[in-house]
This record gives sequence, structure tokens and C-alpha cells, in this order.
Amino acid sequence: MAGIGHPFLYVWSTAQMTNQVSPVEEQEKLLEEALNIVKVQAFQMKRCLDKSKLMDALKHASTMLGELRTSLLSPKSYYELYMAITDELRHLELYLLEEFQKGRKVADLYELVQYAGNIVPRLYLLITVGLVYIKTNTNLRRDLLKDLVEMCRGVQHPLRGLFLRNYLLQCTRNVLPDTHEAPNENEGTVRDAVDFVLMNFAEMNKLWVRMQHQGHSRDKERRERERSELRILVGTNLVRLSQLESVTVEDYRRMVLPGILEQVVSCRDAIAQEYLMECIIQVFPDEFHLANLQPFLKSCAELQPGVNIKNIIIALIERLASYSQRNEGNMNLSVVLEDGQEQEVQLFEVFSDQVAAITQSRVDMPQEDMLSLQLALLKLAQRCHPDKLNYVDRVLAHTDKICADIHQSSGQSTLEHHTPVFKELMKIIKLPCDHYKNILVLIKLSNYAPLIRHLSYQGRVMIAVHLINDVLETNTAISTPQDVEAVLGLLDVLVKDQPDQPPSESDVEDFVEEQGLLARLIHHFKSDSADQQYLITSTARKILQGGGARRIQHTFPPLVFHAYRLAFVYKDLKDQDEMWEKKCQKIFQFCHQTITMLVKAELAELPLRLYLQGALAISEIGFANHETIAYEFLSQAFSLYEDEISDSKAQLAAITLIIATFEQINCFGAENAEPMRTQCALAASKLLKKPDQSRAVALCSHLFWKGTRDGRPVWALNDASRALDCLKKAARVAQQCMDGGVQAQLLAELLGRYALLRERGNQSLTPSLIDAIIQKIREELANLDQSEEVEQITKHFHNTLQHLKNRIESPDPESLGYEGLTLS
Amino acid sequence: MSSRKKLLLKVIILGDSGVGKTSLMNQFVNKKFSNQYKATIGADFLTKEVIVDDRIVTMQIWDTAGQERFQSLGVAFYRGADCCVLVFDVTAPNTFKSLESWRDEFLIQASPRDPDNFPFVILGNKVDLDNRAVSVKRGQQWCQSKNDIPYFETSAKEAVNVELAFQTIARNALAQETEAELYNEFPDQIKLNANDNGRNRDGDNCAC
Repeated sequence: MAGIGHPFLYVWSTAQMTNQVSPVEEQEKLLEEALNIVKVQAFQMKRCLDKSKLMDALKHASTMLGELRTSLLSPKSYYELYMAITDELRHLELYLLEEFQKGRKVADLYELVQYAGNIVPRLYLLITVGLVYIKTNTNLRRDLLKDLVEMCRGVQHPLRGLFLRNYLLQCTRNVLPDTHEAPNENEGTVRDAVDFVLMNFAEMNKLWVRMQHQGHSRDKERRERERSELRILVGTNLVRLSQLESVTVEDYRRMVLPGILEQVVSCRDAIAQEYLMECIIQVFPDEFHLANLQPFLKSCAELQPGVNIKNIIIALIERLASYSQRNEGNMNLSVVLEDGQEQEVQLFEVFSDQVAAITQSRVDMPQEDMLSLQLALLKLAQRCHPDKLNYVDRVLAHTDKICADIHQSSGQSTLEHHTPVFKELMKIIKLPCDHYKNILVLIKLSNYAPLIRHLSYQGRVMIAVHLINDVLETNTAISTPQDVEAVLGLLDVLVKDQPDQPPSESDVEDFVEEQGLLARLIHHFKSDSADQQYLITSTARKILQGGGARRIQHTFPPLVFHAYRLAFVYKDLKDQDEMWEKKCQKIFQFCHQTITMLVKAELAELPLRLYLQGALAISEIGFANHETIAYEFLSQAFSLYEDEISDSKAQLAAITLIIATFEQINCFGAENAEPMRTQCALAASKLLKKPDQSRAVALCSHLFWKGTRDGRPVWALNDASRALDCLKKAARVAQQCMDGGVQAQLLAELLGRYALLRERGNQSLTPSLIDAIIQKIREELANLDQSEEVEQITKHFHNTLQHLKNRIESPDPESLGYEGLTLS
Repeated sequence: MSSRKKLLLKVIILGDSGVGKTSLMNQFVNKKFSNQYKATIGADFLTKEVIVDDRIVTMQIWDTAGQERFQSLGVAFYRGADCCVLVFDVTAPNTFKSLESWRDEFLIQASPRDPDNFPFVILGNKVDLDNRAVSVKRGQQWCQSKNDIPYFETSAKEAVNVELAFQTIARNALAQETEAELYNEFPDQIKLNANDNGRNRDGDNCAC
């Protein structure tokens, strides 16, 4: 502790002059010193109490309290000191209470402590003693409370005053009158309690605000930090008011809230206003807020320009939204109109109007804050009025307007990525999406799609991907042409070229991935009604064809498959829908057009495959005139092969598919089959590379011989010898290959095909021919050096031999056997 | 050594926002419950006299704000606590997970003399609700793993176990307090001339 000449004295006095709080270490030292004095004095106070020497105890208490007169401590250190001291004061209080209860007269104590020399200790003691008086004689309550709250005016130093009044507030917690009618008027009613706390609140708020204007302007930052630390003391007044249980909604409206708001608005201090408004929201119950939205929100509009109103409103909205959600359903409120009439309104309406008024009146509000407010309104609409989609739409319309204003002031037509406004808008757009988890609801919001257009290209893609993933996840079916149109409208950024899109070379992978997602979405365009499905599919094509070659290669295949599937549906409906054949024709016409568009987009392999798939479907459905149409599809595929496919690998793959498709189709008569199979055989023999040629020619054998498996009747156009010709030619070509391994491989494959077609009933492929191939393969293999490749071929060959052996030993009665073939 | 007959016990209630700290205290002290939610800001206490083993003790129960932003002045009120009550909501698993950090935070800030044996009591509140998400077993296991902290499942709303829990709190706090009193409460040194003379480092020149 500091005696005369203590080294700290100098430091202290300079600090005093500049009114600066000492640095951290010095703070600790000062606090420790003060706490030590408290310890000593408290000990002595308690010892005196034990010996019932009250006057001496009070003297020690007073000395202890004298430590609270310091100006050197920061708010936090002062709070620690205050805690230590008030903890000790409670022992004094307990002692006095006990003495009083025993009926021991401690006359004039209340007057006595007023002789304490300094005002801070005096008032602390006065409060402590006053409390004991009140507790032992409730008749003194009303007057003493009034007296105490008045007396505290004597301390006008902000820090000391705030803590002193906090002590008053703490001590009186349990003794505030909390009834409407007191048994005797001296005890006071809740009205007196409210007046008491409101007065204390007003005084504390004034002390707190005054801090802002004391001292040097260069200390502003520190001062504001300290004020922010001290705010809790001021807020405790509001807590106390909220703890008064007899305060009804009506009381709150009449005497509590107006008193608080008056003080808040009139103090004209931004820090105080922002904190206290939030405090009101937090400490009073929801029912009180609901009944008083208008006065509260009106006061919001009157706050200082520096106040962050957005946070206040959002806090209130979030609180009421979760309350209303807990109570399930629409909240109807009674509000008093200008003319004094009461009217029922919806929670949303009140907020919507007030938010609009506030955004209009506060020209300085950042644009992102305006969007944040809309976000909060949106949450409110969704959570409190689940059946009112028009509320949501109204918020979106408002947001749209704000965005338009933003564009006007920025001179740009979209919101840049990663700007605060972009982020807020993104949240607004995502909220309904995540809330409803149903794109069919989103398209009912007429302002939803326009809002997306305010985002940058990247933002729009992000939203589109998000929307599609939701549809896929929830497995939503989009089942009318109007819905399809609307959904694709939301996804415009993926459906067609955008004026602001990056050059097409950039990020091909992303593009392909996005289009892949879009394609998956298209599979969800489905209806249970066949006619409707047709309309959906053609609507989708109309829109998607605007996407250009880059997109339709991804988006058209699902449409074509939708159409093929639909044709099968009509086939199943043939007994109920006499128009089914006409409709099938129309469907395949549609497909033909669709695939032709892909051809025009200079694609070849994709349309070729789609044509083949179509030919298969047509042949299976078998509606009127189907042979001609199937032929058209197949021949279109063949022309693509001839005209557009030049890569040799692609050629082999394509001709293989064409042959396979032909093999599967059963609807062709000789007139259509003949040109097709000759063309294929010709094409096969014209392949560039010998191995390709050999394989393709071997496959051509299937063009001339089909088995009877799976209940198929014997094919009228079977031509055993031409099938054999193909295999012979394939063998010949194989033997022209220079590489022995390749030769062996091709012959081994050929042996398999011989066996396959013989088992499918082609008698021209005699056992002796088969034997010749076997011998040839053995010869070739013998000439080869061992290698992995050769091993593979040998294994393949031996597997085939094993198969033949099995068939010889136990012949299949349904198919031709291998009589006369000996395998050594 | 103190021979005062009445004992003052300081109890701190901690836990996440909304677990029911204020409601528990109100149920215990005033036998009242309200469904209305009012956030607590700062820290505040209520007192209640209880009888533990024939001794009258005054419990000073500190209700605190669960949200950190409402403790702008720090937590100086932890100091001198005789027992710390940690509350969680059995329907909200995250409030259970926070217990650990509340306990650590308390031990750091209050720095009790013997942190390993400082009395804690855990209350799993809101057992009246049917959407329970933290099982009794999970609560018990955690308490066992922390040096066998007493665990109570309470409902402030239906006054389930509240009385019993606070009795235990009072008893454990009393044990702590009695133990503390064994230590000499004398300040480190007493300067005989330490009284009023020369003490003029008072704030400023005004009389306050």
C-alpha cells in the first residue's frame, strides 16, 4: 500500500493529470495492493463482528470500501476489486440481519453510517444497512428504495457511480415490491419497483454515456472498449425489470417499455442504443415483444445514424421466428393503428412494413445490410407463415429491387463474386431452396428466377448446380410442360450461352460436369401420363436446342431415351389407346429430328448409336409401317458410318454395333435386309487394317445366320453358305497378317465363331472345317516363342477346345453336335 | 478462526445458453417455473437459507449468462466459490459436450486451492421433455471419469430432483468451506501502521 513518499505516488499523480490508466503490470500491482488491503480490513471487520464491536467493524468496512475510490483501475480490475469487497460486505449484512432479527436495537444505524467521511464508502454502507432495514421492516421499503436511488446521485464519477448503482441493484433484487396491490402503501407496489429501476437505469445510462465525452480524443478507442466492458452493468437494470413477475404485458406496454425506449432514444449515443436495444430483445419474453412490435420498431427508426440497426432487427426477427415456430403456425397480432383502432395483423406484415420504413429512412445503410434484412424477413416468412408463399415472394421482389439499385450505383449488371452483397444475395437465394427442398415450390415464386440473374456467371452456375443436386437427391419428378419450362428457366445459365460467360476453352471439365448434371436432371422430367410425357419431352427439346452443339450432345440423349421408353409405354397401352400406332410414329419422327440435330451439330458417333438404339426399339414395338422406319434409322446410322467416321478404331466399333443391331432386329423382309447386309459386308471388307478386316468380316457371318434361341422362329433369310463365306474370308484375311501372334489370335477367335454358329444350327460349318482351323492354330502356336501374349492365346484356344470336348462327350440335344471331330 | 454461526456458501451455476440455469435456481429458491425464455446477461445471485446437518447455511447462488458476449466484464465472480454447478440440457447433446470446457474454464478462472478435489455437481436438466438425446449412462460415465462428480437428472419445470441436487450442492460446498477454514485466513502480513495514516492515494481531489 502506498504511504507518503511511495514511489507509486509520482506515477499516480502524473497518471492522474493525463487521466491515463496504467499499463497492464501496473494494473495488476495496483489491484493486488488494493486486494491486500481488502483482505486485511475484511479480516478485522469480521473479527470485530465476532466480538460484537459494530462501530469498529463499520470503520474497517469503510476503510475497505475506500479502495473503491480509486481512479487508477481499468473496468475489469475495478470489477474484481468490487467483487472482492462486496463478497465481504455480505458478512456484515448477515451479521446485521441476525442482530435485527434477534430484536437487538441498533439504533440510528442508517443515520450513523452517513457520517462516514467519504461518499463512496458511505453510500455502500448506506445501501447495505438500508437493505437490512427493508428486510426486517417492509414498511420502510418504498421510502428507503426511493431514498437510496436518489442518494446515489452523489457519485457522479462514471466508473464509481456505475458500480455503486450496480451494488444497489444487486442488493435490492429480492426486496423489490412485486405485487399490484400492497397490504399497506408503505410497502410499495410493482409500480414503485419499476420507477425505482427505471430511475437507476436512467442515471446509469447517463454515467455510461458521459464516459464517451470525457478525456482526450486520442483515447477514444480505449474509452469505447471500456464502455463496452461496462455495458453489462447498465443492462442489468433491464434484467431486473424483466424479473418482476407481476409485470403483465399491459404493464410492460404502459410503463416499462416506454420508459426504457425514451431513455434509449434520447441519450443519442450510438453505443448505448445498439446495446440496449439488443438487451431489450434478449431479456424480455417473446410475448412482450409480440405485443409491442410497433413501438419498438418505431424507436429503431429514431436511433442515431451510427447504430447498426440491421443487427437489432435481425435479432428480434430470429427470436420471434423461433418462438412462433415453437408455437407452430401463423402468428396473429393485435396492433393499434394510428386512429387508435386495434387490428389483427400477421407478424410478417408488421416487420415487412417497418423494415421498409427503416431502409428508406436510413440512407447511410450499407447495401449488404439491406440484403441481410431481407434475408431475416425471408426466414420469418418461411418459418412463421409456412402456408403463405406470397410473403416469400414479396421479400424476393423487394430483394430484386434492392439489387437493381445496386446495379444502378455500381454500373454493372451483375453482382461480383465474393463481394458482401453477392454473399448476402447468395444466402437469400439458397434459403428457400434449402427450406422447401422442392424445386416445384421455387418455380411458383415468380420473383425467384429473376433474382438469380443478379448473380455473376459463377454465382448462377453455383445456384444451378445446387438446385439440380436437390432434385436428384429428393428424386423430384417434374411432370408438366409448364414446370419443365420454369425449371429450365431457373437453370438458364446451364441451358444456353450467356453474355458474360468465360471463353469456352476454359474449364472444359467443369462444363462437362455441369452438363452431365443437367442431363441427369432431364431424366426427372417424367409424367405418369403418356401423352403428357410426350409434351414434356418436346417442350424440353424446344428449350434445350438453344444450347448449341456443346450442350445438346449432353442434353439430347436423355430426351431421346425418354422418347424410346415412351414408345414402349404406348405399346403396352395398345388395347386402351387406338391411336397408339400413330403416336409411336410421331415419337420416332421426333427422335429422328432430334438425332438429326445432333448430326447437324457435326457429331457422328453419338447420333449413330442413338439411331441404332432407335432401330432396335422400333423393331421390337412393331407398330404400323415400322419396318420402313427401322430401315430408315439403320440406314441413317450406316450413312454416318460411311460419311463421318474416319478413325479406324471408331470404324471397327461402329460397324460392330451396326452388325449387332441388325442381328437383333427381326422385322426386315428380304427387300430391306439384302441391301443392308451386303453393304455391311462390303464395308467390313474395306476396313483398313487386316486384323480389323478379319474380325469385322467374321462378324458379318451373323448377318446371314441367326439362331433360334429364346423362342425365335427360324429366320427366313438364313443363308448358311454366305455365312460360311464370311468365316472363310475372315480366315483368309487373318492369314495375311504378318504377325504370327496376331494370326493365332484371330484364328482362335474365329474357331469360337465357327463353334457358335454351328451350335446355332448352321450345318455348313462342318466338323472337318473346324478341325482344319484347329490344326492351323496349332501350327501357328508351335511357331511362336513363349510370351505372355502367346500364353493368353493358348489359354483362349484351350478353353474353346475344352468346350468342344464337353459338347462331344455330352451333346446338347437342341443344337448341332460335332460328330466326327476328334480332338487329340 | 471464525466463530460466526451462520455460514455463507457461494455457488456458481454454469452451462450453455438455454439449458435452464435460471429456471433451476428459481425453482430451488422461489419454487416457481415459467416457460417464458429470458436471457440472462451478466451474473446475478439469489440467496436461500438451507439446513445442512443441523447447521443453518446461507447459499448464495450465482446465476450466470451462458453466452460469452454477456460477460463483458469477465468472470471475477467465480472467485471464492465453494461449489460449481454445471448444467446441460438432456435434449441438446452439444450442451453436454460443452461441460468439459465449462469445467476447465472455471478451474482456470477461479483457481481454487485444490483444483482436483474442488466440488462440482452436474445437472442434466429438462428430463420432462420426451426428445431426450443424452442418455443417463452417458451422463453418468462422464461424471465418473471426472473424479466421480455427483450427477442429477433434473426438471426445473416439474421440480424433479431440484431439491435433492441443491442439498448435495450445499453439503459438498460446506465440506469445501470447512476445509478451507482449516487454513489460516489471516492475511499474509498485518502492518500495524497500515490503517488510515498516509492513505491519500485516493482517486482524485474531489471528496468522493
